[in-house]
Amino acid sequence: MMTYAPRSYLRGRVPRKKENMPKFGRFALLVLLTMGLVAGALASACGPGTRAPSPTPGMAEVQELRVNLAGEPATIDPNKASWIPERTVIMQVFEGLLGFNQDLELVPVVAKQIPSVSNGGISQDSLTYIFHLRNDVLWSDGQPVTAYDFEYSVKRLLSPELSAPYASFYYDIAGAHAYNSGVGSIESVAVKAIDDYTLQFTLVSPRYTFLHLVALWPAYPIRQDIITEYGDQWTEPGTYIGNGPFIMTAWVHQDHITLERNPRYWGTPPKLAKITISMITDQSVEYAAYLNNELDISRVPVGMEASVMKDSDLSLELVRFPQLVTFGLLFNVTKPPFDQKQVRQAFSMAVDRAALVDKVRSGVGKVAYSWIPPGMPGHQPDLGLEHAFDADKAKQMLVDAGYPNGAGLPSISFEYPDTAGSRVTAEFVHWQILNNLGVDISLEPMEPKAFSQYVNANHHMWAFSGWGADYPDPDNWLPELFRTGAGNNHTLYSNPEFDALVDQAMAEPNYEPRMALWRQAQQIVVEDAPVIFLFYPERFVLAKPYVKDLKTTGMDGQIVGDLFFKETYLLQH
Amino acid sequence: MRRYIVRRLLWLIVVLLAVSLITFTLMHLVPGGPWDRDKTLAPEVIENLNQRYGLDKPVHEQYLSFLANAIRGDLGVSYIYQDRGVTQILLGGLHVTATLAIAAFLIAIGIGVPLGIAAALRQNSWIDYVCVFFATVFASIPNFVLGVSLIIFFSVFLHVLPTHGWGTLDRVIMPAFALGAYPAALIARVTRASVLEVLRQDYVRTAHAKGLGRAAVLYRHVLRNAMIPVLTISGPQLAYLVSGSFIIEYLFAVPGIGRLFMQGVFQRDYGLIMGVTLFYAFVITILNLIVDILYAVIDPRVRYE
Repeated sequence: MMTYAPRSYLRGRVPRKKENMPKFGRFALLVLLTMGLVAGALASACGPGTRAPSPTPGMAEVQELRVNLAGEPATIDPNKASWIPERTVIMQVFEGLLGFNQDLELVPVVAKQIPSVSNGGISQDSLTYIFHLRNDVLWSDGQPVTAYDFEYSVKRLLSPELSAPYASFYYDIAGAHAYNSGVGSIESVAVKAIDDYTLQFTLVSPRYTFLHLVALWPAYPIRQDIITEYGDQWTEPGTYIGNGPFIMTAWVHQDHITLERNPRYWGTPPKLAKITISMITDQSVEYAAYLNNELDISRVPVGMEASVMKDSDLSLELVRFPQLVTFGLLFNVTKPPFDQKQVRQAFSMAVDRAALVDKVRSGVGKVAYSWIPPGMPGHQPDLGLEHAFDADKAKQMLVDAGYPNGAGLPSISFEYPDTAGSRVTAEFVHWQILNNLGVDISLEPMEPKAFSQYVNANHHMWAFSGWGADYPDPDNWLPELFRTGAGNNHTLYSNPEFDALVDQAMAEPNYEPRMALWRQAQQIVVEDAPVIFLFYPERFVLAKPYVKDLKTTGMDGQIVGDLFFKETYLLQH
Repeated sequence: MRRYIVRRLLWLIVVLLAVSLITFTLMHLVPGGPWDRDKTLAPEVIENLNQRYGLDKPVHEQYLSFLANAIRGDLGVSYIYQDRGVTQILLGGLHVTATLAIAAFLIAIGIGVPLGIAAALRQNSWIDYVCVFFATVFASIPNFVLGVSLIIFFSVFLHVLPTHGWGTLDRVIMPAFALGAYPAALIARVTRASVLEVLRQDYVRTAHAKGLGRAAVLYRHVLRNAMIPVLTISGPQLAYLVSGSFIIEYLFAVPGIGRLFMQGVFQRDYGLIMGVTLFYAFVITILNLIVDILYAVIDPRVRYE
């Protein structure tokens, strides 16, 4: 039994020292009780509450959208940015000469109209482009946006000191390549502000997707005086001056970014007053935050798609739409046995893509038989179906190639980045090839960066990889990947017929004939099968039912609908 | 004691040099560089990037210039976060990580020590079983799993706590508990065993025989001696808190510097890796020194030359 000497008894007998205070055991219990009470008090005082009730018509009083970016953006300087999360922020704060509408067609934004040969905006030889700017576009600090801001931006983008990743996209501008390589001068770069509201570009050779490049974020306007004064630190709130529908009012690094309506925006004011962008890196925690009503839009963690689709409430909040991305299995056509077309085609027919999409990926995405995805101009839905899954035909092709039942094949290794999604696909492919061809390939998971380097150096034999659109045109999809010696050609594929078609297409000024040439070119690639096209992924996200006018496009950044956040609003909830 | 401290500080410099050299070497030996990505960059762009970050210079020159800057407090530039220097990034998130680690440590001590003592004082009672159960469970659950479970229970199920972030008490408590649970369990176990052992000692019996009250015996004789093993394990616990903060910060989106380390490695951000590694080496070495000094303060038998 615990005895406790009352204070009165101790007084005079034991000096009042710290050691003689009440027992530790009791104290510990007191602490635990207090913690419990504090937790209870917190529970009643804070917490967002229970699930939101069904929305009623009428806009919400507080128009604040809460989204997540999955990590801190590396840089939100439009000239330097290259990763998708960065684009999300940049697109809210800046606008370029041109933009895209929901159908991915070009629309004029800061420019009054899209230059064309017929309106004189493009010269007859297609080398000179003249943009007439609106005169009512303001920077968020009140200064007018002029052609000089665009000229400064493009020249800054191309400066070798900035080492911008997307500089190489603009090498069609005369003098650009030389300047960016350090051998030319900035004056020789052929982008010029003729006056405050007229901008001229001169190209080296005709590039019929130049207007698409002008619509991309590296060509957004930049304020020279801000950069001169603040240098690299200009991307902090207060000096991050843009001309878009929102301004960045707060950036707590690694924590969140706050965007608020730009009162000086020239266009229709956005309905949203505020966008709060969190930086939760873990997919499951993002999903938990959505369930806890802390986020209005969230991704669904890999593997949970099926359970979300079955949930009666969540399935109604799903937003799905195709991405301009294709995933495939890249062969290295210089390494045997993949230097034989028949072997490649045999392997292509041995993979049941439908099973991959329906069973392994729970129906998220679409089967791919060709390279250009749906939603992109140039997509050919009927192309490549002759390579559809057919185990018997595949076996026969292998026999024809000289390897009956896989006998005589050198050992085949399959490389992939060791991420959750890729692992599953790799194991599926392994099982398919084993089951349908009797060939046991060895799986080589690699750390993502090591994998990138491996494939970039063309050391791989057979690798799982993908490609996403920078802009919606086939010239971003075919030449860069399949031309002989192209920078992103990691299949080492080389077909002079294809190269000739590419040259023709790049030189063809009219849209329809150009598309016809691209279609022919894609047919050659599909026939030669340097890549087994697997699937076109789709966005699979949850959005609260009170988020209205969330306009999804293929050119969205990290967050679904972020290209048109200026049109989104919230209902009462 | 003073000479001892000075000697340890000199060793600190040696440790930092060794860590910087090993990290630098390993960093450059690992396959994959900072510019390798799925969409291959144009060769001109890669050349510009290498020039900008000094990667085109010979390796030993890069290392020496890094050292020269580090001595002046400039830990270089981050390749990912191009608009801020590494020192700036570290200082920005330092107070958050420190607060998290201290909060976790306080939870560990605040739960572990009282629980262990109460369990030892009333051996085989209900509180003893609670203590042992608590210690076993929380020593076995990985902090990541515990963190996710807390989020699911308190945020998704009960809707009483926010899932992520930092700043207010309701955001601090889950990550701090997830991080501090394992040290709490360990400290509870060690405290219990240690107090039990000390209670059986002759001098405690003597103290009781002298007529000292239970409280006096507890405070003047038992605790001071029982805390020595606890302090001994505190050193490694602090190291655990530092490395555990990487995962907890990643999970709970706490804006500290723990996340930076993992990100830096995955993206081959040489600047960030060097800066963060050196920083953590410094912190752990200093913390170990403090623990060793406290050791000498608490246990008069320990003398340093």
